[in-house]
Amino acid sequence: VTAVLYVEDVLLVDRCLTGEPAATRELFRRHRSRVHACLFRALGSNRDMDDLLQEAFLQVFQSLRSWRAEASLATWIDRVAVRCAYRHLAQRQRRIATDPLDDDAAGALTAPEAGPGARRQLARDGVARLYAVLDELSPAARLAFTLHELDGRPLAETAELVGSSVTATKLRVWRARKRIEAAAAADPVLREFVEPAGGQVIRFDDPGAP
Amino acid sequence: VRLAGRIPVEPLDEERLTHIERRVVAGAVDAAIRGQRLHAPGRLLRPVIAAAAIAAAGAVGWAIRGAPASEPVAEPAPVVPAAPEIHVQTAPQRSVVDIGDARIESDPDTAFAVTRPGGGVLIAVARGKLELEVGKRGARPPLVVRAGDTDVVVVGTRFSVDYGDGSGDVDVRVTEGVVRVVHLQQETPVAAGQEWRTRAGLVAMAGDTREAGAGPLPTGEPRAAGPAPEPQRDRKRPPDAPEVLPTVLHDRRAAVPDAPAAPQAPTRSAPATRPAGREPAHPRVAVRDDPHVDLRTAIRAQRVEPALDLGEPNPASAVARYYDIAAHRSGDEASQAFYSIAAVRYFRQGNGADALQTLDAYVRRFPGGKEYRAALWLRVRILCLARFDEACRAAAYTYLHEAPDAPAAHIAERLTQTE
Repeated sequence: VTAVLYVEDVLLVDRCLTGEPAATRELFRRHRSRVHACLFRALGSNRDMDDLLQEAFLQVFQSLRSWRAEASLATWIDRVAVRCAYRHLAQRQRRIATDPLDDDAAGALTAPEAGPGARRQLARDGVARLYAVLDELSPAARLAFTLHELDGRPLAETAELVGSSVTATKLRVWRARKRIEAAAAADPVLREFVEPAGGQVIRFDDPGAP
Repeated sequence: VRLAGRIPVEPLDEERLTHIERRVVAGAVDAAIRGQRLHAPGRLLRPVIAAAAIAAAGAVGWAIRGAPASEPVAEPAPVVPAAPEIHVQTAPQRSVVDIGDARIESDPDTAFAVTRPGGGVLIAVARGKLELEVGKRGARPPLVVRAGDTDVVVVGTRFSVDYGDGSGDVDVRVTEGVVRVVHLQQETPVAAGQEWRTRAGLVAMAGDTREAGAGPLPTGEPRAAGPAPEPQRDRKRPPDAPEVLPTVLHDRRAAVPDAPAAPQAPTRSAPATRPAGREPAHPRVAVRDDPHVDLRTAIRAQRVEPALDLGEPNPASAVARYYDIAAHRSGDEASQAFYSIAAVRYFRQGNGADALQTLDAYVRRFPGGKEYRAALWLRVRILCLARFDEACRAAAYTYLHEAPDAPAAHIAERLTQTE
């Protein structure tokens, strides 16, 4: 299946290079969910997400001729998207317009064991505080951490996506983790999110939530 | 800290995705067109020519500098201005403008401007109707006729563009070759005998009303009837051309509804309806009406590089194995497997459209591959056995350019001269 997909990718890219709209649409639809998830985890809930997704794919199509079929098309597209995210982070000087979460975190803090709804709220607050800490990291460290820790990609792939060596990437991830642990030590909401008491992971999609 | 999979992604709703998709597709098509211009073969020569011109100018300058002081110093060469924009505003009569790349006949009260951006030709129509005869452009950027938000992209053909009073619909009629009409980011190939209108899209041309003397056209009829032009196809015909040529052209126009099925615009999903193990049948042309019968025979007689022999009797299984080799090996093995996919698809599965796509991908991916020339020739064979059209001539030109000393070069040369 991989070989067939590979050759199909080569053929699809060739059709895109002739300017065939149907091929362009097909390529966009095949990869949009993954690229969106990658950008979302790297940047958090973001008002500019539509523009970023568009920008990433425009970059993909502008550079498509340079894809030499040495890497898989998906990896190559992810690399372009990560570069796009890096530029966004660098341009905004680490100030990400993170959407404020609607409810007040204080309520969740005072009554974390009040029920599944409160736990879900606590998870939201935890994510907001996690991204607040990530905003303080350098773009390279933030991308390395989010791709490896949040997106669950192996270190080698993360290193390839951010264009660094595995050692440098590992170091960045480690430093980011230390920073988050230090912030969690001073913030009970963040601590509850990253190191839940009793090892029980808090999720948004808690099935018991109302 | 264990966070993998714990950050849920907020989904984008369909409406936002549709907007993004629309903008991305528009941008991608633009990028592809720009990329094609950028990678046109002639473009590589331009810096060399420019460098040679600069060197020559330097040599001349040095010679002047070295001349005795008593001799008059040569005046500096005047700066050659860029090609000017040609504005044409026709009088009550029809007018003809020959811009070198094309011959443009315009109806009375027609206005248009000609510019040459980036080596191409852009004819912007303000109002009125043009009839164009465009020479083969080869590797040069295409000629584009722009009428409002509609672009007609040409690589060598005869056609007309009617833009009425400059505020309404556009009517494109093709009498020879194929053009691409780009309107609202949708691209439509329009073949000989077909017509494209802003509202109706692609339709079969309802006969040439000028020649037939029929009533007014449904849309886009010129506002003032000028003198009927002479039959243009006779103008280019050499004196010794066979008498059957007009008949053949007429027959081709009569067969217009089948034109989109030609390999000019292949589709991957086209089902292979022909039995496996045979080269696909090509449109039958009566021998007495076909001036190219010997050329077709010569193409068929030319040797084609065989596919890699895997001893696999089932063509589908063979293609699957070639896929595997192309994906996991490199160098000559991958090149040979990729070429073999195309050869098997064409000769054993009878699927010319997919074979062409594979060959195009091969040519892009293995420009120095061992089967590069063979792939170019197979493209020529597939396209030209189907039809002697612009795509065939372009393929033949490419082959001739890349393999001028190959045994089939003389056939390719003849193919580039077909009408």
